[in-house]
Amino acid sequence: MSEKLYAWLLRLYPSHFRETYGDESLQLFRDRARDEKGFLPRLRLWLDLLLDATISLPREYLHIPSARVVASGPQHLNGIPTFYVLQNASPRPGALFVGGLLSLVTLATCWASLGHYKNPANSQATEFGYAPGESRFAETRPAPPNPPSAASAAPRPFTQPDALNKTERKRVIEGAIANLKAHYIDKDAAQKMADTLLAHEKHGDNDAAMDPATFAALLTQQTREVKPDRHLTLDYSQSPLPQQPLGRSPEVLAHYRQEMKKQNCAFEKVEILPRNIGYLKLNSFPDPDICRIPAMAAMTYVNHADAIIFDLRDNRGGDPAMVQFLAAYLFDHPEYWYNPRENTTERSWTLSPVPGNDLADKPVYVLTSPATFSGAEQFCYDLKMLKRATLIGETKGGGAHAGVWHRIDDHFGIGIPETKAINPYSTGDWAEVGVEPDVKVNPADAYETALKLARNKLKKN
Amino acid sequence: MPKRKLDPLPSAAFQILLALVGEDLHGYGIMRQVAEQTENRMRLGPGTLYSSIRVLLEEGLIEECDPREDARLGEERRRYYRLTSAGRKLARSEAERLADLLRVARAKKILRGRYV
Repeated sequence: MSEKLYAWLLRLYPSHFRETYGDESLQLFRDRARDEKGFLPRLRLWLDLLLDATISLPREYLHIPSARVVASGPQHLNGIPTFYVLQNASPRPGALFVGGLLSLVTLATCWASLGHYKNPANSQATEFGYAPGESRFAETRPAPPNPPSAASAAPRPFTQPDALNKTERKRVIEGAIANLKAHYIDKDAAQKMADTLLAHEKHGDNDAAMDPATFAALLTQQTREVKPDRHLTLDYSQSPLPQQPLGRSPEVLAHYRQEMKKQNCAFEKVEILPRNIGYLKLNSFPDPDICRIPAMAAMTYVNHADAIIFDLRDNRGGDPAMVQFLAAYLFDHPEYWYNPRENTTERSWTLSPVPGNDLADKPVYVLTSPATFSGAEQFCYDLKMLKRATLIGETKGGGAHAGVWHRIDDHFGIGIPETKAINPYSTGDWAEVGVEPDVKVNPADAYETALKLARNKLKKN
Repeated sequence: MPKRKLDPLPSAAFQILLALVGEDLHGYGIMRQVAEQTENRMRLGPGTLYSSIRVLLEEGLIEECDPREDARLGEERRRYYRLTSAGRKLARSEAERLADLLRVARAKKILRGRYV
């Protein structure tokens, strides 16, 4: 209820502010509402918000709209005269008074009309939400060719992306439900999610969603009430989604290749520390088709180390093939490598031994943090189950089953985990619970702890 | 020479620059950091916070980083902001200006307490 009230308050701000910061303002409100519970803190929150609106509303209406064009792209600012306000002197007190009066009148008019508020005809398209390439599936291997889903609703043009009406919302929800029922790995949960989505819509819980991106986030959140599956996500894209999955596009692959080149294929650091301890800071597991040579070079560099530390504290996952590729260096025989995204095949074993590799019998330490996610957790989980590494840090995110992207319409899509492989180690895996480290320490101390453990181990040998 | 938007530097903008000195933060992180560094005297509301952020971005004093999740706050991706070298320079010169003022105030013996 209070979020709905704040969403109404936000509507008093000019469109240029709402377009750029409406979503973040709502997020900030949610954060504060979550952290400031109880009568007094909540009262203080509302007083803050009202005071803030009184001060910032006139300022926003006086803001020169042309400046907002450059607001999101500071890299384009150099030398452009929009750095400066258009007047040399401050506005006259009279102008400020008239401005303030106008703002008050606007405020009062808006409040009075709130009860009759419908979708404004002059609303502008928002820029909120993830672009298709930015979805959390971006870190996974480009999706295999995905024939148009039978459950996908027919693409329909989106005439007014800023103002979702009930019919459009219903269409998106129905599209999401059809895809969930057709593809989600847990059929019971899919049915419950469908019921939950419909119940929320019926109770008007989606009415406060100001824009399509917020609506998509809300639906994602509602499905997670049934099951906190972080690979299940509903996303909105301002620009029309392509008919075919992005992963197939040569442009996307070219962009990915270029990014990987810039980032040295996510190998942030590769070094030999004192006492001949190899250290690799790897921030994702990139596609081996593109990053095989840098990965081999990194492993070759640490090949003669007496112990090896994989720092995955900032690793958000990536391609299971790279996870398996790097794991091959840690064994002297083919080892079964559990991948929750695929059922067992002949490719489920590591390609060990790697010719010329000296690391198969060296102690391995893996540094983790709550940010360590998905493919990085697979690396941790399998090495832990195989008793091949000591995990140091904090429990990780709990993302195991990657999703396949399904298009609902031109602007909405849903990523759904579709497979669940047999786990040879135990009945569950790390999905939703994360991987428990062997040595629990603050992630900031994990590096020092690993060095200490490695030195002690090497001393004993 | 046209007058710059941040001359003089508003208190909220200065506090935001100071909040970003140590690390990149998202909006809520900035709000909490400002509240902490001002002992809760300044709690920036969304309107003030984001209009200040917009001006700082326009002036090239801060810049946006890639959106990412905050491990503590859940899995929603957030826009992070980073101090630029121009922002750091301006924060330093503003701090020096305030230090000069403080020196004058000290000389005039109008300050109380041992902590200043």
